[in-house]
Amino acid sequence: MRLRKSLALFISLSLSATAMIGCSSGDSSKDTKEGVTEIEFWAAPNPTQQAFWKDMAEEFNKEHSDIKVNVSAIKESPTSEASIQSAIAAKKAPTMSENINRGFGALLSESKAIVPLNKLEGFDKLVKTRQMTETIESWKSADGNQYIFPIYSNSMLFGWRLDILKELGYNEAPKTYSEVLDVVQKLKEKYPDKYLWAKPDLADPTAWKRWFDFFMLYNAASDGNAFVDGSKFVGDKEAGLDVFNFVKSLVDKDAVLTAQVTDPFETGVGIFTDVGPWTPGSTWKEKYPDLVYGETYTLSLPPVPDDRDPSNAKTFADAKGIVIYASATKEEQAAAMEFLTWVYSNPDTDMKWLEDTDLPPARDDLGTNEAFASYFEQKPFMKAYADTVAKGVPPMENSKYNEIQTIIGQNAFNKIVKGQITPEQAWKDMVNAIEGELK
Amino acid sequence: MRKTSNGMGWLFTSPYILFGIIFFVIPIVWSFFLAFTDWNLISPEFNFVGIDNFIEAITSQSVQSAFVNTYKFLIIYVPIVMALSLTVAMVVNGLPKFKGFFLIGFFLPYLSSGVVTSLIVNGILSYNGPLNTFLREKLSFNIDWLGTPIAAVLIVSIMIAWKFAGYYGLILFSGLSGIEKEIYEAAAIDGASRWQTFWKITIPMLYPALYTVLILAIGVSFGIFTEVYQLTGGGPDFATNTWQMEIFTNAFTNLQAGYSSAIALIAAVVTFVSIYIVRKLIELWGRRNGWE
Repeated sequence: MRLRKSLALFISLSLSATAMIGCSSGDSSKDTKEGVTEIEFWAAPNPTQQAFWKDMAEEFNKEHSDIKVNVSAIKESPTSEASIQSAIAAKKAPTMSENINRGFGALLSESKAIVPLNKLEGFDKLVKTRQMTETIESWKSADGNQYIFPIYSNSMLFGWRLDILKELGYNEAPKTYSEVLDVVQKLKEKYPDKYLWAKPDLADPTAWKRWFDFFMLYNAASDGNAFVDGSKFVGDKEAGLDVFNFVKSLVDKDAVLTAQVTDPFETGVGIFTDVGPWTPGSTWKEKYPDLVYGETYTLSLPPVPDDRDPSNAKTFADAKGIVIYASATKEEQAAAMEFLTWVYSNPDTDMKWLEDTDLPPARDDLGTNEAFASYFEQKPFMKAYADTVAKGVPPMENSKYNEIQTIIGQNAFNKIVKGQITPEQAWKDMVNAIEGELK
Repeated sequence: MRKTSNGMGWLFTSPYILFGIIFFVIPIVWSFFLAFTDWNLISPEFNFVGIDNFIEAITSQSVQSAFVNTYKFLIIYVPIVMALSLTVAMVVNGLPKFKGFFLIGFFLPYLSSGVVTSLIVNGILSYNGPLNTFLREKLSFNIDWLGTPIAAVLIVSIMIAWKFAGYYGLILFSGLSGIEKEIYEAAAIDGASRWQTFWKITIPMLYPALYTVLILAIGVSFGIFTEVYQLTGGGPDFATNTWQMEIFTNAFTNLQAGYSSAIALIAAVVTFVSIYIVRKLIELWGRRNGWE
């Protein structure tokens, strides 16, 4: 009897202890050698980026006996932003992390969770050394500080099916709205079942999808207008209406397909779509080797209203950078800045980044610096992205960017694409809803 | 002696109590706390906002759509899954052998990933897929399946019904196996038709299993997420937006911990009340058929 009771007691205690251990936060603090500052770097949940940062940390650690950089990936469950939020709430934030866009950066800076990098020693020199004075300008916060160090900037471009354009009698991508509408006219005459823009996302209200349709066109039409400045809506009404009217014209001409469709651009159902550098570099290379830059497709900046200069068109930049967290000690923050300076003091590092990830480094001289010439010779389509780095407008700097972009979709863009609303009404509804959200 | 027994009892139940406290009690208390604040979990400062989050949620178009859509899914999905699972149970019950084999086969969709199923459905419904190409070219029928509100709701409902039919069929099959053969034999002697036997014997005798399956199916209607997240994003025009989509978007995309907690609490109350009402209605029907 006593033995059975003891056994039961042991099992109960073991189960309770297991539960307690399972629920523990798993304190990752390690024994640190005296005089060594250990910092945690969270890399994007992308294998190529993780590998890059692990290599960098390994090299850095070899050369620096007083700093140790540990690299791990940001958990993407449920989202990388939510993982960072949980870590901050649990007081387990790393010293620094990448994969931060301007919108999330605004939330972090408003919440005083990250430090202004320009207040840290060595930052100004780093910006000059990395040749990014012009590119970093659009990342400046409304309070004049620089909270994010941009590491890459994908100026999104539109892909055009050059082979189909040639069949229609064009040798290059159209650049203005009128030219695009001419192409549509000829396309529907020759191929009634083909569309200009075939993409289900156009009718999807998910916030981030507006970066790859509305903001590409809007940045081109408005010369990169900020849309929201602090807590004020400052959208360019004329440019916004131009975009909405252009999309409505396409819808009226049956040139937009929002039904579920598999690889519409690649299969030729649509002849126009947004293309990021990762698509030709990996997806098309493996799955659609017949798509060849300059032969079957070409890349161009977004089309603009007829009265604007297409060669100066701005576009949306899918751009992210590094932040240093306020919860880190002064020593850790200084060590993080030293790591950052070490990584970006040499263009070879950006070259390695480019080769590993196909993400254009956020530098002003990417298209002109000889250090990158060999890469662009091997991948000519990447030159188009490199040349437009400075024309890329990063996401809006507002902590409510998700809500605002959902409103753009739900109240305006999605409805126009579905032919449910006039451009004027869409703009009015959208502005009212955004201003209500910003109050 | 009594004192010792109580102590041992508490000790034996301690793992479950501990589990309950950590995974149920603390999160619920935490959710209540968050729901009355404007905290984003990042800022060191936050304000108590009273019932503002609840008012904002109740007046929000997207939350209202989640409320209505749940009942739309319930009305469409529950009859489909009940009919399918009952068919599975009766077909397998009527087989002379290999019942276990077929039951496992029907159960397999329950183990399938919602993400994978959604990808397959996406491919089937693709504009340039075989189905739509055939419909367009041979029948001149062109439809944007997931872009049409009623079609989108129907497709999501069918997907979830397909997933759960085998699982519920298993429960109903065990219920069918428990009905005495003599009752059917007596009905046959009395000249009852198959139709009468089904409605007057099988369905009433299956009440305990049907009760379980109905409550489970209704519970599923309140928890729809993966299929909608993957296929429609809650659209078109909020037509497939659900409670779980609202909670996920506000908690993990918009990072509004307070507001999403308020939505979660409203969803919990709506779910509890709805299931309670349905349960009472089923029990009323059960009592009329002799089940106390």
